[in-house]
This record gives sequence, C-alpha cells and structure tokens, in this order.
Amino acid sequence: MSERQHDRPIWRHPMPKDEDLAHQIEHEREQHLLLDPRYPLHIDEGVLDPMYRQGRLFWLVCVIVGGLVAAWGATWLVQMFYGLGITGLKRPVMWALYIVNFVYFIGVGHAGTFISAALRVLKVEWRRPISRAAETLTVFALITAAMFPIVHLGRSWKFYWLLPYPNERQIWPSYHSPLLWDLTAILTYLSCSILFAYIALLPDFAMARDHTIGWRHTLYDILSLGWRGTEREWGNQETALNVFSFGIIPVMFSVHTIVSWDFAMTLQPGWHSTVFGPYFVIGALFSGVAAVIMVMAIARKGMRLEYFLRPEHFDGMAKFLLLLSFAWDYFYFNDVLVPWYGQDPVEKTIFALLTGGYVSPIFYLMIFSNVILPAATLWSKRVRTSIPALFVVCLFVQIGMYLERYIIVPVTLGQNYLPFDWGVYTLYLPESLITVGAFALVAFLYLIASRFIPLIPVWEVYEGQVLQGLRRIGRALVKTRAEPD
Amino acid sequence: MSRYVLLGLFHEATPTANTIEQLRAVGISDDQVTVMSGMPYRPEMLGRPRHRGRVWRFAIVGALLGAATALFLTVGVWLLYPLVQGGQPITPIPPTLIIAFEVTMLGTMWASFLSMLFENRFPAFKSQLYDPRVTEGHIGVLLEVDEKLADQVEAILKANGAHHFQRVEEKRPLFKPRGGTWQDFKERIAAAIGGPDVGHRKFWLAVLTILVIGGAIGALVPYGVFPISFPTQMENQISIAYEQGPRRAAPAAAVPVQGPVLIAGLPATAPIPANANSLQRGEVLYGVTCIVCHGATGVGNGKLSGFLSPKPADLTSASIQGISDDAIFLVITQGLDAMPSLAENLGVQDRWDVINYVRRLKK
Ligand code: HEC
Repeated sequence: MSERQHDRPIWRHPMPKDEDLAHQIEHEREQHLLLDPRYPLHIDEGVLDPMYRQGRLFWLVCVIVGGLVAAWGATWLVQMFYGLGITGLKRPVMWALYIVNFVYFIGVGHAGTFISAALRVLKVEWRRPISRAAETLTVFALITAAMFPIVHLGRSWKFYWLLPYPNERQIWPSYHSPLLWDLTAILTYLSCSILFAYIALLPDFAMARDHTIGWRHTLYDILSLGWRGTEREWGNQETALNVFSFGIIPVMFSVHTIVSWDFAMTLQPGWHSTVFGPYFVIGALFSGVAAVIMVMAIARKGMRLEYFLRPEHFDGMAKFLLLLSFAWDYFYFNDVLVPWYGQDPVEKTIFALLTGGYVSPIFYLMIFSNVILPAATLWSKRVRTSIPALFVVCLFVQIGMYLERYIIVPVTLGQNYLPFDWGVYTLYLPESLITVGAFALVAFLYLIASRFIPLIPVWEVYEGQVLQGLRRIGRALVKTRAEPD
Repeated sequence: MSRYVLLGLFHEATPTANTIEQLRAVGISDDQVTVMSGMPYRPEMLGRPRHRGRVWRFAIVGALLGAATALFLTVGVWLLYPLVQGGQPITPIPPTLIIAFEVTMLGTMWASFLSMLFENRFPAFKSQLYDPRVTEGHIGVLLEVDEKLADQVEAILKANGAHHFQRVEEKRPLFKPRGGTWQDFKERIAAAIGGPDVGHRKFWLAVLTILVIGGAIGALVPYGVFPISFPTQMENQISIAYEQGPRRAAPAAAVPVQGPVLIAGLPATAPIPANANSLQRGEVLYGVTCIVCHGATGVGNGKLSGFLSPKPADLTSASIQGISDDAIFLVITQGLDAMPSLAENLGVQDRWDVINYVRRLKK
C-alpha cells in the first residue's frame, strides 16, 4: 500500500478519509502554494497563458508608457543640442535630479538579487515564485540607472572615454576616482545580474519551448540552448547558481557602497560621512523590496498569477520590509546624530533647513513614509496580507526613499563651506520629463518582458511542491520544510 | 549488431529509482543511463552517482584571471605610463583593492557562467533525444543498449510503469521539436562542423578564436601596426604652440578685462609726449609709487629692496632702458614677479608720465 503511494505523482495525492484531517489539508492548500500542487502542465499553462494575452488595456498602457519613454528620448536630444544649461543645474548645485534618479534606480535594483541570492542561500521557501519577478526588476532598474550618468554628461557621446581601452589619444581613466569605481562596480553588477537571471531561466525557456509553436518556439529554442534537464545540466546549473549567489551578494553591497562614496569621498558637509556606505545599502534594499512588492502586486493582477503569488508571499516580503525600515531608521539616526553633535555651522544650517526651512515638507513626508507609516502598519498581519493596503504602504516607501535621495543630493549640495556660494535648486521641465521617462522606461521594459519571459520560475515552484509536505503532530497538521543539500 | 536508444517516462522518483537499480543488475553501467527531469532531483533520490562538475574549478581560474586583469589595469598600465596627478601616488592601495575586488568577481561569475554552458555542452546544435513531457513533471530515463539487451531493458522499464516509451535504432532523433526551420539550420551547422558530438566544442573553439583574433586586431590598431590614419591624430592637425604668433585681434565686441592695454597686444592710449609738465608729474608719481623699491636714482636700492627677491631692476641700466615704452607700461599695469601691479595706484595717463620720467633716469 505504502509502496503504491510513492508511485503516485505528487499532484494526485488522495484526501484522507478522516474529515477533520481533510479539512485541515484543504485549509493548508489554500494558504500555501507549495502545498497545493497541480498537474505541472497546468502550472506551465498558468505561466505561459498570460504571455499570450495582450488585451486592449495592455496596448493602452504600452502606448502611454512608450510615449513617455519617447518624451525622455526627445528631451535628451534637445538637452544634448542646447547643453545642460536648459536644466535647473546651476552653481553650486551641479548634481541634482539625474543623480537622484541614478541612486534611486540603483537602489531599486538591489532587492532583486538580494531576494534571489540571499534567500536562496538561506533556503527561504517563500522566495520561490518571487525570485524571477525580482531579478527582472533588478536588471531593468539597473539599465535605467546606468543611463543616468550618461544623461548627466553634457556630451553624452563621449561616454566611452571612461572605459580603459588603448587609444590613440592616450587617454586612460584614473582609478583614483570613485566615479570610475562606480563604473566598474555597475558593469560587474549589471552583467552578472543578467547572467544570474539567465541561468535560472534556462529550464523555464526549455519549458516554454516545449509548449509553444511558431516563432515563439524558435525563440525559446534558441534561448534555452538545448536544455533537456539531464543530471549533468542540473548539477552544473546548481554549481553556477551557487557561485553566483555567493558572488553577487558582496558585489551588491559594494555597488551601493561605492555609489555612496561618490558622495562621501568629497569634502561637502552633509556628505563627508563614514556611515554613508551601510546607510545607502540599507536604503537601497528598503526601496528595492518595496518596489518588488509593488511589481508583484501589479503582475498578480495584470497577469492573473493569483495561484502563484499568494498572500503568504506578500506577508513574507512585508515582514522583510518592516525589518529594513527599522534598519533604515537606525542608520538615518546615526547619520543625523553625529553631525548634530559636532555642531558644524554648515551642517547646522542644513539641519535647520530640513526641520524648519524650505525643505521641511519634504523632510517630514520622508520621515512619515519611511519611519512612521511602515512601523505603524506592517506589524499587523492583516495589512501585510492585504495586497491593496500593502501596495499603498510600498508606494509611500518609494516616495519617501526618492525624497531621501533628493535631500541628500541637491538640497545638501546647496550649502557648502563657502556661504557666498550657497544656492537653491529648482526643478526645470527637461529633468522632470526625463525623470518621468525613467519610471516609464522601467515599466515599459517590464511590460515587454512580461510577454516574453516566464515571470514565475516554474521549476523552482515545482521543486518546492515536490519537497514540501505536511506532518501530523497530535491533532494539528504542520508544514515540514525540506531542502536537501 | 545494431544499437538501440530507449526512452521511458515515469511519474515519480520511486519507480525511476527502482528501474535504475534493476538496470544496474542486468549489467548496464551508470554512464549508459541519462535521467532527464523538470526539476533538480538529488542524485541520491534516484540512486544515481553524484555528478562531479568542473564549474568550480573554472570559477577559480576566472577569479585569478579577473584579479590579474584588475592589477594590469590599475597597477601595470600606470607603471608603464606613469602620470602623476596632484601629488598622489601612482598606484594607491585602497582604490586598487576596490577595482581588484570588482573585476575578480566579474571574472569569477563570467567564468562560472561560460563553463556551465561549456560543461553542459551548450549550445546543443544536434537534435537530441528528448520528450517534451519532461518539462511537465515527468522523469525520463534514457539509455543506449546493444540489441541483445534491448528487449530485456524494455521489459524492465515497462514493468516499473514507464507510461510513455520510445525505442529507436541508433541515434536517429526521437524528438523533433515543432518549428522545423531552426532545427534544419542547427543540423546543417552541426553537419558542417563535423558530427553532433563535437558540435559544442567546435562552437566554443570558434567563439574563442574569433575573440582572440578580433581582440588582437583591435589591440594592434592603436599601435600603428595597421597604418590607419585617424582623422584625430595630432600630428595631422594644425598645431599652434602656446602664445605662438601672429596674435589674432580680439573680436570687435569683446570687453577688455585687464584694461585697454591688452587689446590686440598694444596700448590703446597713445603715449604722452615727454614735455616738462609730464616729466614733473612723472617725478612726483615716481616718488610716490616706485621709489620705495627702485630707489630715488632708479638703481634698485629703495628701502624695500632688501626684502624682495628678485631684487628690483636697475632702471638706469641699458637692458631696461632698451625695452619699449609699451613693455614698461605692461610691467606697471600687470606687475612682474615681486613687483606688484600698480594699475590701481596709477591711471593710464599717470603711467605714461612715469614712463617719461623713467626714460630720464638713463645714465
Ligand atoms: C614693491 C616694490 C616695487 C615697486 C613699488 C615698483 N617696482 Fe618695479 N620692480 C620691482 C622688482 C622686484 C622688479 C624686478 C622683477 C624681476 O626682475 O623679475 C622690478 C622690475 C621693474 C622693471 C623692469 C621690468 C623688466 O622687464 O625686467 C621696470 C621697468 C620697473 N620695475 C618699473 C617700475 C616703475 C615705473 C614703478 C613705479 C610705478 C615700479 N617699478 C614700482 C619692484 C618694484
């Protein structure tokens, strides 16, 4: 009898006769994706089907978002033609919205890798259906972020001068500069994030290849590189994924630390701080996790992934978000307390501007969104599992984190050690359009990708469903965790 | 005697493991069997030997290559072409460490990716033995056996409940993916580079060759091995040395910054004739502005002269008297070394008066 039980595929396990037990099992299945196995063909279908669906709404959003991206492009061309003078940049604030966007999108790009790498290493089960959506967000946010230093260059076409290559002009980049560390770190992080996502995608591309026809079949045939799922393939894939997981976490930390050094290595008051590295990393994870939750919520609704993305996943992510919020509070307090104790006149001025000056609305909104709102709401499981409520909290976190970067970049830069040279940055149309375009670009890339890339890692979900089980202890059923090494 | 390839599909791990065990009993070695699945089953689950990959080793090699590249970029090049900036060391340690870390990680991860592709024999151009149901949760057991064992193996597979079964002679493709054109293309490539088994090796060899040759050509261009004349090469451009004449006139609308004297290199005001009136004014002004340094007789022994280096010039000397009025005008206007600009003390007319007086100091 028990022999026969093992022969049965996991998606065909019978319900026990005991009614109470059956009821409990039913309940657990509703709650947990990994306890609710279905025939894998149906799971494949659930992932592939939405990729074919391009309703009127999809195209409408595509046109709007695409239009905004085109507006970015046009504005950029105009800016290249007339020069950076058409923006609000003027002495002393020569770093403003473009750099804010750069820092912000790099930050958003941090969560994806962290979720798929760190949670993979730590064997956190609820990561399984999320990792793909998070990784793709990382890649697109990084692509967008990487464009901003180039947008910020007056002569964008001279960008390649930053790269070390033998040239007849004998120009060689100076590695003394944090900006060049930045370039190196971002190139490493971006290219490795793409590879990391791709390695995990191979089995899913193979899955898509096996269940599509026509040009899509050809596309996935090429992309899957001939994946068959042999032991050798799985073994090597796992080794590669392990190398990436352990390799990309320190790289991720280094990337945002180096971004913070772009600021901290200067003598600008308000920037020249030793806590900037970890403070930026935590801020990046904070905004990144919130962004992933928002993407999950939108994908769940827009692509009808309710089977895969369940409240339990939002719950897990929201707990993580709360934790990061506390960590951010701690670092921010450090970043403010130490200069406040020093009573440096310029730092005092900046602090006065934040608490009572023209920036105070921004400052208090930031404190509300980053500190008060998450702490006030996310402790409650009802908020954490209610997707609309969580979406709103995450939206506020995005706003708060964007404002935080706004305070760090143009507001702080307005006050330096030479008071005759102080200034206030005002927003002009070109950079506003380009900023809107940046958000649109991420959305646009995501829209396109959602129709080409299986957004749920089917093989990981399937693996989880095979491995996870229920065990009866006394009268209750408990989930057993199983992740073999 | 012909060889057969058999593929059976199972629902679950247990019957698969049983099958593999029984196959081993019949005398089929482990490397004759390939298991295909839609998720990574641990080898122990299926009673298979653990696959020992070499990706780790490639990753270590990649890390070393990355570190070497980083050191070449940060230390090597700077030692080859030193360019001191702002008194900083040429190869400071902390930035070198940062770059070394990033590029080492880059090397590690790229190497593990590429070696994963290589070790998995990707991209697979050949048509492989496969069943699309593998990605639907089924486990496929694929083996290649001699004719005499084929029936026996088939019986074992079926007895364990292989619900789909294929048996083909030789390595004729079992599974033709739908969408023929790409498949045909792949087969043509596979045939062109000689047989299906070596396909992926030749592919990677070709990629490597192209990279090496391309890189070499690219690296040789800037060193002039291929004489391509870059339009930006400096020796072909008009080059004008610093302050090399003829000096061009400033644009008509230009606003003089240093006073009229700098326009077109000539004083804008005409010198004042050395009449008695001018000489008298010049003497007074000389006594006010110049005497402290150059002294009453102009030989450079004024009260301040002892504190100055270089010493004030001897205005009576032939060398100073030999320079033009315009030049003296410029010296008064702009100053020279220890001599400050006196433009604020003397108006344009006053300067000409002083110059007239200085001319009278000639021995
Ligand atoms: C603060 C002291 C000081 C005062 C005041 C001063 N000079 Fe001089 N002058 C010097 C020194 C020192 C030099 C030598 C500079 C050198 O050789 O590099 C010099 C050089 C000169 C020269 C020679 C420039 C040359 O081409 O070598 C002339 C002409 C001259 N002074 C004229 C004047 C006249 C006219 C005045 C008054 C309007 C005057 N100086 C006031 C310190 C002074």
